[in-house]
Amino acid sequence: MEDLVEYAISVASNKGVDYAEARYVDKSGTQVSMKNGELQNASILKDSGVGIRVLKDGGMGFSSTNTLNKSEIELAVDVAISMAKSAGKRRNSPVRFSEEDFHEVRYEVNMRKDFTDEGLDTKIDYLKMVDTQVLETGVHVPMRFLSYGDWIERKMFMNTEGAKVESVIPHVEIMYNLVVFEDNKMEQAPFVTYAFTSGLEKIEEEKPWEHAAEDVLALRRLIKEGKAAPEGKLDVVISPEVAGIAVHESVGHPYESDRIFGREAAQAGESFVKPEMLGERIGSDEVTVIEDPTLPNSWGFYLYDDEGVHARPRYLIRNGIITEFLLNREYAYKLGLRSNAAARAVNYNREPIVRMSNTYLAPGDHSFEELIEDVKMGVFIKSFNEWNIDDRRYQQRYIGREAYLIENGKIKNPVRKPILEITTRALWSSVDAVSKDVMFYPGTCGKGEPMQGVPVWMGGAYARLRDIVLRR
Amino acid sequence: MYHVNEKIINAAKKLGFGDVVVLSHVDDRKQVRFANGEITIAKNWRDTRTEIFVEHDKRVVSTDITTYDEVHILSVLENLMKLTKNMEPREDYYGIAEGPFNYSDIDETFDSKVLEVDPVDKVEEAINATTLDRVAGVLYIDHPQIFVNTSNGVEGSDEGTGIEISVRAFKDDLASGHATYSSRVLSKFKPEIAGEKAGEIARMVEKPVQGDSGKYTVIFDPLAIGNLLSMVGRFTSAMAVEAGFSFLLNKLNNRVASDMFTLRDIGNMPNGYGTRKFDDEGVPTKNTMIIEDGILRTYLLNHSYAKKYGTETTGNAGIVMPRPWNLYVDPGDYPEVEVFDVEKGIYVTNIWYTRFQNYLTGDFSTIPRDGIFLVEKGEIKKSIKNVRISDNIERMLMNIDAIGKEIYQIHWWECEIPVNVPYLRINDVGITRATK
Repeated sequence: MEDLVEYAISVASNKGVDYAEARYVDKSGTQVSMKNGELQNASILKDSGVGIRVLKDGGMGFSSTNTLNKSEIELAVDVAISMAKSAGKRRNSPVRFSEEDFHEVRYEVNMRKDFTDEGLDTKIDYLKMVDTQVLETGVHVPMRFLSYGDWIERKMFMNTEGAKVESVIPHVEIMYNLVVFEDNKMEQAPFVTYAFTSGLEKIEEEKPWEHAAEDVLALRRLIKEGKAAPEGKLDVVISPEVAGIAVHESVGHPYESDRIFGREAAQAGESFVKPEMLGERIGSDEVTVIEDPTLPNSWGFYLYDDEGVHARPRYLIRNGIITEFLLNREYAYKLGLRSNAAARAVNYNREPIVRMSNTYLAPGDHSFEELIEDVKMGVFIKSFNEWNIDDRRYQQRYIGREAYLIENGKIKNPVRKPILEITTRALWSSVDAVSKDVMFYPGTCGKGEPMQGVPVWMGGAYARLRDIVLRR
Repeated sequence: MYHVNEKIINAAKKLGFGDVVVLSHVDDRKQVRFANGEITIAKNWRDTRTEIFVEHDKRVVSTDITTYDEVHILSVLENLMKLTKNMEPREDYYGIAEGPFNYSDIDETFDSKVLEVDPVDKVEEAINATTLDRVAGVLYIDHPQIFVNTSNGVEGSDEGTGIEISVRAFKDDLASGHATYSSRVLSKFKPEIAGEKAGEIARMVEKPVQGDSGKYTVIFDPLAIGNLLSMVGRFTSAMAVEAGFSFLLNKLNNRVASDMFTLRDIGNMPNGYGTRKFDDEGVPTKNTMIIEDGILRTYLLNHSYAKKYGTETTGNAGIVMPRPWNLYVDPGDYPEVEVFDVEKGIYVTNIWYTRFQNYLTGDFSTIPRDGIFLVEKGEIKKSIKNVRISDNIERMLMNIDAIGKEIYQIHWWECEIPVNVPYLRINDVGITRATK
C-alpha cells in the first residue's frame, strides 16, 4: 500500500496544497457472539481504505475511498482539496498546524499466541468457558450475551512534511452481559469487557470467565444480602474501575483542547476548563492523572498518533494542579505549543481528532487495606453500571453495581446502588489517599461526528474520598 | 450492483450454502462541520460496500467485501464456509424471508436537487438565522443507493437523498440552544428554522441558577424526548429483549405507557430520514404499531424472530438484530401552548448521555443540556442549570400527561434513529443534582 499512500502525497503536493496527509488503514479479524448458550453469528471483519486530509486556502478538507487504485486516490485528493477550499470560504483565520519533528518508522506489537493461527473453535471455546463457569456457580443467569472479537489494524501514514509511520497492532476483546434473576429480583452486569492490544495470551492470563463467575456470585449476594447505602456525610473508597471512569470523564475529556476551543460544541460539547486554567488547582495533592498511549498491550496503545507525532505520557493533573491539555497539531498551534500526540482516527474514513488513550489515576503510597482501615463509616464502590456527565464535564454521577458498607475500618455487607453525584472540583478535592496498586479497564470512548468510538483504557489506583453525601 | 450480488449468490450456492443475503451499498455523503461561526472541516465519503450473510446447516456467518473480482469473492466465501465447520448450529435460527416482493416508490425519498446544493450556503442560512456569533453544528448531504438479492428470490434496489442540519447556538458559555432539521427533499429543508430555534432558546437563557432536586412535571422539547425515544426504539428489537438489554421483556400485550401514548415504526414514511423500501432481507418496510394506546403490541422482528414467535415479520431486519427505521409518536390533542400550561414545571430543551443502571428494570439517568427553564403557570420564569433526570423509563412513559399536536422529525448525533415526535409532558419526573 505504500505506493498508493506515497502517490496520494505526491499528487496533493503537485496540486499546491498547504498540507496533506494520507492514511491507509486495513482492519482484518473475526467476531463471534453467543446468546443464552446459542452461538449467534460469526463474522469476518475486513475493511480497508485511504483517508486524505488537506489544508488549502485556509480550510480543512477530508475525503476517503475504499476503492484502492491510483485513479480513485487521485480523485480522493481532488475531492479533499475542493472540500478544503469550500471550508475556507467561511473562516475567521486559516487552519494552521504546529511545527513538529517527523520520523520514518515502523512498529509492530508481537503476539505470543497469534489469533490468526487459531481456528474459530478456540475463540468459541472462550465464550463457552464464560457460559459454563457462570452456570456452574449455581446462580440463576437466564440472560447471557457474550461476544469475542479480534482484529489486526495495519496503518501507513505519510504527510507532506516527511512523516512516514507504519504500524501493526493486534486487538482482542471479550465482552459479556449477564442478568441474574434470584428471589424475583434482577441485577445486571452489562457490557463488561476485557481487552488488549496483544495476542490471545493476555486473554488467557486475564481469564474473563473467572471474572464472569465472580460477577454473578456478587450480584446474587447483592440481591440476597444487599442493604440500602448509609445516609449522611461519609467516606467513599472507589476502586480502580470507578476511578478510571471518573478520570476519563472529568479529567480526560475536559482537557481535550478541541473541546476547550469549542470545535465539538454541537456534539460532545465543550469544557469547563479554559486555556488560562493551566497551573490552577483542581484537586488535592494526592491527585495525579496520567494519559499514556505507550503502555504496552493497553487497549488505547499507540506509539505515533494519526498526525504522525511521536507519543509520550501526558500529565493532565500533577499533585492537584492542571498541567497539560490533550493536543493535536491544530490546537497546539493555537496555544503556541507542540502537539502531545493526541490525534486519533478510528478508521481510514474518519478525520483524526483529539482523543484519550489510556487515562489513569497515578498510584500513591497506601495499601488498599490502609485506605479502608481509616474509614469509620463509608462505602466501597467496586464497580459501576450507570454513569454520565454534563457536556462541560462538571457534574457527574456513578452508580455502584458491586459496593459494600465500610464500618470501623472493615468491609461489611453489600449495599444497593450507592449514587455518587458530584462536581468535578469536589470529587478531586475530596481525595485524601490513593493506593499503590493500579488496574486498568477497557472502554470505547465516543466522540466526533460521525461517531468515532476509539479503544481506551481507564483505571488507576484505589482512592479514598472524604465527607461525601451519597444518594440512594 | 445486481450483477455483483448475483455473482456472490451463485458462488455461495455452488459452495453449498443454504440461505444467502447480499446487500450492496453505494454511498456518497458530504459533511460540513462548523464551530465558533466558522467551518472547521468539510468532508466527502464515497464508499462501495457489500454485506454478505450466509447460512450453512443453521450456522450463520457474515462479512463485508469491497473488491469484486471472482477469485476474491470465492476465497471470501470459502473462508466463511471454513468458519461454519467450527460452529454448532444455532437452534433458534429460522431462515430468511421468502421472496420475491414488489416494492413501490415512497414519496419524498429522492430529489436530485439535494445533490446540487452548495452545503456552505445552507450552513450560512442556519448560522445567520441564529443571530448569534458563536454557532456550532453540522450539515450532511446524503446520496445512498442499496441493492438487495437473496437466495429466496428477492431482488430490489432503492436510491435516496437527504439533507440535514444540527445547530447549537451560544449567547455565552452557559446560554445555548440546539435544534435540528432533516429532510429527504430540498423543498422541505428549512435550515433557517433550526437556526432560529437554536438562537431563540439560547437568548431565552438568563443567568441560570442551580436547579433543585425533586419530582417535577417536565415539558420535553421534541429534541429532548426524541433523543430518549431513539434509545427506547433500540429496546423494541427482539434481539435486545432476548439479550437482556430491554425493559420490555415479558411485557407483550401489557401496559407499558400512558394510554395517550402510541409509538410506531414507519419504515415507509414519506420524507423519513430512515425510510427504505425494504429491510435487510428484502421484506417491504411498513407501518408497525409497537405501543398502541400504552399497550406493547410487538417487538421489532425479522423473519427468523417472527417464525420463532409464531408471527409475521415486521420488516425490520437486521439479519442478526432487528432495528427501527423511523420511530413515530402519534400526535396528541394539545396545542403547544397548552403543553406548557402547568402550575409548576421544568422545560427541558435537549438531553444527552442517557445511561442505564439496569436495562431490564429501566432505571436510568440522562442530562439536560442547553436551555433548561422553570415554568410557572404556563410561563417561563427562570433558567436553571446542572440538573439530571434520574428516573425509570417505564414509569416516565406511564406518566405522560400531554402530547402536542405537531410532529417534528429529530435525527442528529445524539439521536441515531430518526424519531418523529411532538412536545410531550410527563408528570413526577425525578430531578437530581450533585451533592457536593
